[in-house]
Amino acid sequence: MSTPGETAGETVDSAREMLPDNSFLIQYPHVSRVVRSLFLTAFVAFGIGAFMGVLQALHRTGVARLVDSADYYTLLTLHGVLLVIVFTIFFLAGVFAWANTRSLDRPPVSKRFTWFWVATMSVGTAMAGIAILAGLIPSTDISADVLFTFYAPLQAHPIFYIGLAVFIIGTWLAGIDWFRQYLAWRRENAGERIPLQSFMVLTTMLMWFIATMGVAVEVVVFLIPWSLGIMPAPNPLLTRTLFWFFGHPVVYFWLMPAYLLWYTVLPKIAGGRLFSDPLARVVFVLFLLLSTPVGIHHQYVDPGIAEGFKFIAMTNTMFLLLPSLLTAFTVVASIEHGARQRGGTGYFGWLKALPWRDPAFTGMALAGLMFAAGGFSGMINAGMNINYLVHNTIWVPGHFHLTVGTAVALTFMAASYWLVPRITGRKLYSRPIGLFQVVLWFIGMVFMSAAMHRGGLAGIPRRTAEPQYPQVTFETVAGSVSSLRLQLAFGGVLLFVSALLFLMNVGLTAMNNKPARNLDSALPPALSGPDQSPTVLDNLKLWALIAVVLVILAYSLPLYSIVQGAGLYPAGQEASPAVIAPLLEVIA
Amino acid sequence: MTATEAEAETDSAVVGEETYADGTLVRDPDIEESLSQDEYDPKGTLALLLVYFLILALMWTYMYFVEFLGNGATVIG
Amino acid sequence: MHVHNYEKLWLGASLLLIVGFISTIVYGAAGAGITMVNDEGGQVNPQELGNTSGFDDPGVTKVGPNEYEVHVVGIQFAFQPSTMEVPANSTVTFYVTSRDVVHGFEIVGTNANTMVIPGEVSKITVEFDEPGEYGIVCHEYCGAGHHSMAAELTVTEPSNFTMQDDTQTQTGGNETTNATATPSGGESA
Ligand code: HEM
Ligand SMILES: [Cu+2]
Ligand SMILES: [Cu+2]
Repeated sequence: MSTPGETAGETVDSAREMLPDNSFLIQYPHVSRVVRSLFLTAFVAFGIGAFMGVLQALHRTGVARLVDSADYYTLLTLHGVLLVIVFTIFFLAGVFAWANTRSLDRPPVSKRFTWFWVATMSVGTAMAGIAILAGLIPSTDISADVLFTFYAPLQAHPIFYIGLAVFIIGTWLAGIDWFRQYLAWRRENAGERIPLQSFMVLTTMLMWFIATMGVAVEVVVFLIPWSLGIMPAPNPLLTRTLFWFFGHPVVYFWLMPAYLLWYTVLPKIAGGRLFSDPLARVVFVLFLLLSTPVGIHHQYVDPGIAEGFKFIAMTNTMFLLLPSLLTAFTVVASIEHGARQRGGTGYFGWLKALPWRDPAFTGMALAGLMFAAGGFSGMINAGMNINYLVHNTIWVPGHFHLTVGTAVALTFMAASYWLVPRITGRKLYSRPIGLFQVVLWFIGMVFMSAAMHRGGLAGIPRRTAEPQYPQVTFETVAGSVSSLRLQLAFGGVLLFVSALLFLMNVGLTAMNNKPARNLDSALPPALSGPDQSPTVLDNLKLWALIAVVLVILAYSLPLYSIVQGAGLYPAGQEASPAVIAPLLEVIA
Repeated sequence: MTATEAEAETDSAVVGEETYADGTLVRDPDIEESLSQDEYDPKGTLALLLVYFLILALMWTYMYFVEFLGNGATVIG
Repeated sequence: MHVHNYEKLWLGASLLLIVGFISTIVYGAAGAGITMVNDEGGQVNPQELGNTSGFDDPGVTKVGPNEYEVHVVGIQFAFQPSTMEVPANSTVTFYVTSRDVVHGFEIVGTNANTMVIPGEVSKITVEFDEPGEYGIVCHEYCGAGHHSMAAELTVTEPSNFTMQDDTQTQTGGNETTNATATPSGGESA
């Protein structure tokens, strides 16, 4: 083992040789490259998405309208797709590629296969992105102003839907890659417990395979043939339901890499150890089982669905709180363990003993705190009848900017400060800027999200370029609507500045000539190890089977009754805008 | 210090110097103590989460009975 | 399986919270009588609304001593009718559907809030106790002019409210479709 020298001007190349032999970059230079390229795409998407975000925040509050209101929806589509499809999922793929390799301690089976799925995901993204951006250029016939939920019969150009399908296939291939890597490990380690990080990757991907069935059927069976003009418009309630079949579990897909980081990396950074490996496994199994049979909670106020189905979805949803509440305990207890090992004492005094100067720690801790708040507004959303109060108001974006927009996004930023040096061998450009940046995100989000929640209670709708109407007055409980608007816009600006600082900091890190030090990639073992849990937890086939059965139970009757109602292709449905002249009529 | 996960089965392998992301030393190995599973009760965690529980229960009640049921006309059929 | 006692306690507290939430919702449904939009509204052909009873002449209809029906059609980018008037202390059932894409229907400042999906009819019954002016907004993105899609609902003092039984049309509505009378609804008492 070598210790890095102190000579000034040492370069990364010479320093690489000084990295400890077990550092990830030395052991898996190829996987490190894959992770770097996935992160690059994620960060580009994040930057463009954040720029759209600040434009929206300024536009809808009337503070500054830099685009035409009709184009607002093109920007909003871009914001949604780039942030919650591209940024989150590319970053997830990078974290999973790293975690699976690190914990199984072996590389993926085939380099070519790995690059193949990276390329597939990228091509799909590029197609969808081009379709959306073309909407800003009137001279092209191409557009996809359908937001990231693409409810038919609003129509996008076929390359938008085809791009989505290609992207999803790319994620499936990624999952297959990680399973092959696991199976190769299994052949040499019969009877061993699955290493924790790999267990998390595999259960999450099983959940994803099940969840994406809904959107795959929606897009491939209905939307692509319809947008190409060879099939009539599908039943809009059916395609909505298929979308939300996927649309709820996708939120857990965003969240699981953050949970993986909280469970495995955060305890180490805090100076402690994971409190309970068994409960971590239970939590991921619960997510596999319960993430999908709940999607109808997004349709509480949809016509055409009986109240009983909505109630069942709500009960499942409420029980889905359990794994997150358990996570709160296990993760906080792991951090507290670190604090106590560092000399912290008391019921609350231990909080002071945590490494608050480390942006990786502080970012993840603030992300967790925001998740506690977002958890609350999510409980309101989930309550079947109280959903009337908030459905489709700006409360809802207020909620998910706390969850995906902070719990996930801020964890990803914080984790980047820890992970990027480990996959590049380069020293973090600036820790103080990193620390400032994560705190700034937190403050910006407090402003933006609080204003959104309160605006939502006043009834202000989401997804609206100019939520100011001659016929309508919005009344807030306390404070005026105009002050809420200013707070929303101000928070949005802080967030954008924070995003720029983050991108600058990782960008300069990637180009930093100073080598990183002490990149130990070992993670401390859990206090309560896997040996303290039953081996049935590792029976992935069993859990996958139960998950499929639960999905069938939850969805077969609602889908059947929706199709019984208006049919697969109800008469009188028309695309609007019709992006391509319906071929059906041309032929007929 | 650079033991892999598999080797780090013992508590002593975990305790030691730790660095910030930029390589700055965070904690002094000398004041390190190692807390084992039996020695550690997460009382601070329990305290924090019980506070969270109270906030959730109160906020839920407020939101449901004041904000929601007090919000004018409601769908009753 | 090993689980620390504190964590067992937290597990119990979490289950209590979950059961408490579900019980509140059940109270809202059974005790306070809140009903979810459901499949009672049935299906329609969005291109044939002109020949569909109720939607052929959107607006307020009196169907009982103190009961009114309001048919509303969402189109890109307006509600038909764009103004509605009902008396206070009455029971009002809204039937809302769309002629084109997915829309939303939210009476601002109330819990009357539903999705509007072409081919499906959203049926919601609401009681207005107090007179007042309400704005109605479309809260689902429906195209480039979505932000201009809104309407107005006036809840009048019952003594000031004038509408004859069995009359479909409504005074003051600025819609063009109120010329033809539809077969009188036999539902009025
Ligand atoms: C610079 C930071 C950000 C700002 C200023 C911002 C601002 C906004 C605003 C104002 C809206 C509401 C638009 C409307 O409903 O009319 C919105 C929507 C949304 N944001 Fe953000 N946001 C930011 C970051 C993020 C992040 C990091 C994520 C997720 C990772 C995210 C995900 C979304 C999603 C999914 C929507 C909903 C899009 C839709 O309704 O179709 N945002 N954002
Ligand atoms: Cu959901
Ligand atoms: Cu609209």
